[in-house]
Amino acid sequence: MKKILSIVLTAAMLCTTALALSACGGSSSSNSSADTKTVASIDDLKGAKIGVQLGTTGDIYASDYEEEGSIIERFNKGADAVLALTQGKVDCVIIDNEPAKAFVAANDGLKILDEPFAEEDYAICIAKDNNDLTEKFNTALADLKKDGTVDSIIKNYIGDDTKGKSPYKTPDGTEYKNGELHMATNAFFEPYEYYEGDKVVGIDAMIAQAICDKLGYKLVIDDMDFDSIITAVQSGKADFGMAGMTVTDERKEAINFTDSYTTAKQVIIVKE
Amino acid sequence: MQDFFDGLYQSFVKTFITDDRWVQLLNGLLVTVEITLFAAAIGIAIGFLIAIIRSTYDMNLSGKKCRSFGDYILKIVNFICNIYITVIRGTPVVIQLMIMYFIVFASSRDGIIAAIISFGINSGAYVAEIVRSGIMSIDKGQFEASRSLGFDYKSTMIHVIIPQAFKNILPALGNEFIVLVKETSVAGYVAIQDLTYVGNLIRSRTYEAFFPLIAVALIYLVIVLILTFLLKKLERRLRSSDH
Repeated sequence: MKKILSIVLTAAMLCTTALALSACGGSSSSNSSADTKTVASIDDLKGAKIGVQLGTTGDIYASDYEEEGSIIERFNKGADAVLALTQGKVDCVIIDNEPAKAFVAANDGLKILDEPFAEEDYAICIAKDNNDLTEKFNTALADLKKDGTVDSIIKNYIGDDTKGKSPYKTPDGTEYKNGELHMATNAFFEPYEYYEGDKVVGIDAMIAQAICDKLGYKLVIDDMDFDSIITAVQSGKADFGMAGMTVTDERKEAINFTDSYTTAKQVIIVKE
Repeated sequence: MQDFFDGLYQSFVKTFITDDRWVQLLNGLLVTVEITLFAAAIGIAIGFLIAIIRSTYDMNLSGKKCRSFGDYILKIVNFICNIYITVIRGTPVVIQLMIMYFIVFASSRDGIIAAIISFGINSGAYVAEIVRSGIMSIDKGQFEASRSLGFDYKSTMIHVIIPQAFKNILPALGNEFIVLVKETSVAGYVAIQDLTYVGNLIRSRTYEAFFPLIAVALIYLVIVLILTFLLKKLERRLRSSDH
């Protein structure tokens, strides 16, 4: 009885301390706002504190502003950067358009600036010495584009009218006789890849599934930090990487890309 | 063979020279050292304080009834210290760091302070138990002798018990600080630019794992070696009073 009582007491004390501390934190927010900067357009990025996800194109673009006095805070997850934005730890977040929409929808008081920061192509990355697989992927991707599968997958995740109406289904009679293919991804990137229950779903996951179904491989998805994906693919820990990954020249030096399967924008999220 | 060394040289240049990346590594090292030093200071302060409270309770009050007002205060403070140690030792330091950064210091824009405090608090719990073990290892006779010579409780602690205990716990304490140095490597979780973070940053730009990871590992190793050397020196110095 005494033990239970002390446990309950402990829990209660912990809660009150946490509450009290967070209340203190909240009240001091007004005086720390002196060094914040309001970002209303791309020009305002100079000298601002910019939140990004480590290793993403948003990170690479934002890093160009470092010389102009901006501070770049790089988080392991895009969601953490957005969380930091809601708390005023950073002035804005640069991230891909579609995840940005998902983040803004989930958090009150955030908005996306109208002018896009950069336009880009998404593609699948495959190790340099694995030309065979790259060719196979390109052929499969071309077929899937032609028969409209890629479009219907994208529409299933983007667009208010079409969302959830055309989920991808593995064709009947598909056999996985060629073994497994491991896909490296960072599943915190709605709608391209994210968790639904304990399964990774989204545009990339479904396109990968479609490609693997066509080629007769069983798809295995490995979730990891975004900045580890390319090295994982290089070193053969994964067969290909697909994580809303933009084709850039620096990345091309390290890895091969398939043809692009969709385009996207980098946008700036700010507080309202 | 030539190709191999060329490739190695290329990636070495990419990892350290391009964009002055070695400066970034150096800055990362400074952040790591800064966090470690201040966290260790906080840890020692908290640790000694709690150890003294806990051992005072163990020696004087454990299993006995409270007789005076002071006894009740000691009992309550000891209870709080126990909770602190249980909670801090029972939860991962990454989680504590994130709680500190995203909840407690929700409105602060300086991540390093949150990191210093959370690593300091974390280390404090371990130091407390190490110091307590040291205090409890001192023979009761020392205590009684000191009291019978007219020292009061406080000066017995400060002049007789703690100095002897310190010598006993030095290896364990050194262990704790070595662990602390390496534990700060999770600071990158909250976008603090420590050594590990800079290594990851370089890795994300060069898409090469070898040099950034090995370099970061070697730098940590060097820090720990320096720390070990200093501790050994201190240990030898303290042992000179044995003869």
